Amino acid sequence: MRRSTERARRCPAAAALLLLACLFVGGTSASTAVAGSYQRISGEGSSWAANAIDAMRVNVKKFGITVDYNPSGSTAGRKNFLNGTVDFAASEIPFQFKPEDGSAPENPAPGSYAYMPVVAGGTAFMYNLKINGKQVTNLRLSGANVAKIFTGAITSWDDPAIVADNPGLTMPTRAIVPVVRSDGSGSTAQFTSWMISQHSDVWTDYCNRSGRAPACGETSFYPIISGMISQAGDLGIAGYVSQGFAEGAIGYVNYSYALGTQFPVAKVLNSAGFYTEPTPQNVAVSLLKAQINTDESNPAVYLTQQLEGVYTDADPRNYPLSSYSYLILPTKVIGQFNEDKGLTLGAFSYYAMCEAQQTSASLGYSPMPINLVQAGFDQIRKIPGVVVQDIDIAQCKNPTFAADGSNLLADTAPQPKACDQQGALQCADGTGGLSNVPTAVLASATTPAAGGSTPTVGATAPAAGGGSATGATTPASGGSTPTVGATAPAAGGGAATGVTPVAAGGTGGAATGVTPVAAGSTGGAATGVTAPAGASATGVTTPAGSGAAAVDPGVVGVTPDAAGAAPPGPSVGAVSPTGCDADTGLCAGGTPTAVGGVATIGAVTTTTLSQSSGWGVSVVLLLLVAILTVGLVIIPALAWRHLSTAGSSLR
Amino acid sequence: MTMLDTEVLDAPEMTTTLPAVVRSDSPAASARTVDAQRGLGDRVFFRGVSASGMLVLIIMGAVGVFLAIEAKQALVKAGPSFLTTAQWEPDRGRFGIAAVMIGTVLIAVVAVAVALPISLGASLFITEVAPTWLRSWLIAMVDLMAAVPSVVYGLWGLFFLQGNIIGLSRWLNTWFGWIPLFEVTGADPTNPLSNASVYTASAFVAGVVVAMMVMPIACVVMRQVFSQVPPGEREGAYALGSTRWGMIRVVALPFGRGGIIGGTMLGLGRALGETIAVVLIISPSFKISFHALEAGSNSVSSLIAIRYNETSGIGLSALFAAGLVLFALTLVINFTASWFISRSRSGEGSEA
Repeated sequence: MRRSTERARRCPAAAALLLLACLFVGGTSASTAVAGSYQRISGEGSSWAANAIDAMRVNVKKFGITVDYNPSGSTAGRKNFLNGTVDFAASEIPFQFKPEDGSAPENPAPGSYAYMPVVAGGTAFMYNLKINGKQVTNLRLSGANVAKIFTGAITSWDDPAIVADNPGLTMPTRAIVPVVRSDGSGSTAQFTSWMISQHSDVWTDYCNRSGRAPACGETSFYPIISGMISQAGDLGIAGYVSQGFAEGAIGYVNYSYALGTQFPVAKVLNSAGFYTEPTPQNVAVSLLKAQINTDESNPAVYLTQQLEGVYTDADPRNYPLSSYSYLILPTKVIGQFNEDKGLTLGAFSYYAMCEAQQTSASLGYSPMPINLVQAGFDQIRKIPGVVVQDIDIAQCKNPTFAADGSNLLADTAPQPKACDQQGALQCADGTGGLSNVPTAVLASATTPAAGGSTPTVGATAPAAGGGSATGATTPASGGSTPTVGATAPAAGGGAATGVTPVAAGGTGGAATGVTPVAAGSTGGAATGVTAPAGASATGVTTPAGSGAAAVDPGVVGVTPDAAGAAPPGPSVGAVSPTGCDADTGLCAGGTPTAVGGVATIGAVTTTTLSQSSGWGVSVVLLLLVAILTVGLVIIPALAWRHLSTAGSSLR
Repeated sequence: MTMLDTEVLDAPEMTTTLPAVVRSDSPAASARTVDAQRGLGDRVFFRGVSASGMLVLIIMGAVGVFLAIEAKQALVKAGPSFLTTAQWEPDRGRFGIAAVMIGTVLIAVVAVAVALPISLGASLFITEVAPTWLRSWLIAMVDLMAAVPSVVYGLWGLFFLQGNIIGLSRWLNTWFGWIPLFEVTGADPTNPLSNASVYTASAFVAGVVVAMMVMPIACVVMRQVFSQVPPGEREGAYALGSTRWGMIRVVALPFGRGGIIGGTMLGLGRALGETIAVVLIISPSFKISFHALEAGSNSVSSLIAIRYNETSGIGLSALFAAGLVLFALTLVINFTASWFISRSRSGEGSEA
């Protein structure tokens, strides 16, 4: 359009023929541009889900789809969606018709929007704590302690309640610095909602102290008291916590940010008495208990989540602060949103629901289960201008899809280790972005009590996916045999990504020797490493190549705890399914995706998290500042000097 | 420009010619009427310039009126408590700029306190001490320091300064903690395990970063004034046996006093309105606190920047009200500054 007007503007002085020609050329170029390509669309909202959405944005670029996304917080996303300044929003919570914190209600026009769950994940507690100068990577916290930390009721890391959670650590006498969100945030809303539900006395007390009372309901704006730091966005929190001076700080962010900044997250105690980490599998297990509203007649609540069941789930793998994040899609042509944009948004949404789910686990999110993907497809149909795609859902290669319709990722999620159980033991394994860095635990916390308390976790893994081979059945052959491959469930037709294809239990699965199997350590460091060739491994970090190297060093050290009587060395392979728990990624459930689906999304499944956050980025920024300073100060100064001397010589 | 000024002033202009006295009762005393018709060029120029001049005034007035209209809803609802309330919960009817304004002023004061000595020293060095070849360099440097975008300063402050200024903050707190300004709640200098976090994200850190932006502005004004010190007085001081410092003390500083005050106040105006660097550094809080070194502060402009995106209705109106107060404060400060500058002996020479 703009081109045509520009051309027209240049024309008036010319002859009429030329004018016509100008208009003709301008007109045709404008019309072909509309028909042939996607329009640029923009979104805003959740920073909790931003890493997943950013990965999608990068990956759809190759289809000619350009999506802008501003992770300015769920509240800002919803508000700007209502204002019509963005085409879609991302938010953890639905529109707040009746906000419980006294803020102004949001009133979208009925029937103008639809919720589409886009990614699942855990709200993790990322911390920066050192004991004797060595970074702690295996901190454990009960729910009550988490609530008390973020309400100022517990102010020191050596509080007896925290010591009780961590029998293997000598907690330092250091003040706790809770780092919370300063902007309106869906993860704040989820977090406060959990506190209100599970630790209402702690929250009510805090609400009174912070001056928020009487509006003590779920809130997107965290009330702040003295001693807290508030930062904008998950990136702001992760950035603050990861700084050198922030020792003693703990903040709530999406798990992916801890992976990206290579910082550990606290394992949180669940109702089954286990301390767990928000790994993709644990989140998948936990969200089986989420109540999804299925009242399709009421778009204001359709597909929204009720998480009470997640908070109290008795599965030992449950992570209580798991939740879904949603895209809010327009269903009417309003404001700057039109059908051309709907076409783009539809294509982007299809990608988000189908192919993007393969890679979400590698970023630290959990893929959507099959029922929500199907519901999401139905929601996409409501976008004006969408070109409905008839997608064979099995072709999405979503790691949660099993042939029988169950949630494969949840079914194959490894059980927690015995040392993760509440009690006298504590695992040494690292968590989050430092899963490969174990923390030494006190001797008293490493030896199981005689006649110990059922450390047979591995054997009890529910093989719900039918005849899938779990850890217990794996032949413990050589020490270096990557038994991870053997634990790959046969169900999904997935490939066992082991270096030794022999071990593969997967039926039709092409066991690729090329896949860089980092069975043990996944998640954290993983993000950002691109697997070679077409076979990129989801959730797999170290391009180790050899099975032996793939076994997480952290696992080795802890083996005795987990397996009880098993001898340390060679048994590593045998107990590795248990080890998979500590190492967050897809050692069991996730591997099926590694081979099949990757071809469609290409070899690049990486939006390097490590580049978008943490110290890496600060170094880059400092460099940028330096370059800008040089560019803006030194060079113009030289030019100035040159010019002024030239000028004075003239005089 | 500036070089030109200096050179013109340096030229010896010793003789003064007074106009002849005209007696008021002589026929030549009455004003002569000019009847020459203005040409087209003159008229176009006259109209154009007048229009531009008036437009500036109109725009300023329109901004004020617009702010007032938008802010009316919130101001009516809050009444005088708008100036005394610390919380910021417009949707619940409890909002005011007491805490935010104090934070704003605190950041600005820190900024000016840091920027004033630096800019004064730099401007004196440039005009009085520096060799000619260095002078043009420094002038260019300072001017270009003003051109660096504030977000760059903000990032520098966030990722570099914040971690490295903790030592200074801790020292100030340890030795001057008995002064409320340097008090830090929760700090324990005697405890080696105490957290450095209490010294971060504070008004002090933000103020130091803002000082980097204020400094060049103040420096330019001061340098302009110092460059206009009459060479006769300067040379007179030397002739009487004054050292360079003596000359600066008895001639340059008294002459440039208006410029020093004016430049500082212009810098203060800039410091009050600085946004993005403050947003990046502070941890927003709505508590009335005079503790500059303590984590948690706020400023009007950063409040607006953070909140405008996620509020509507009364909340937005409240932000406009906060903006209106800041607008008025900045206006007052800038007018005061220009008044000081114009009162100084250098008069119209300074570009303020």
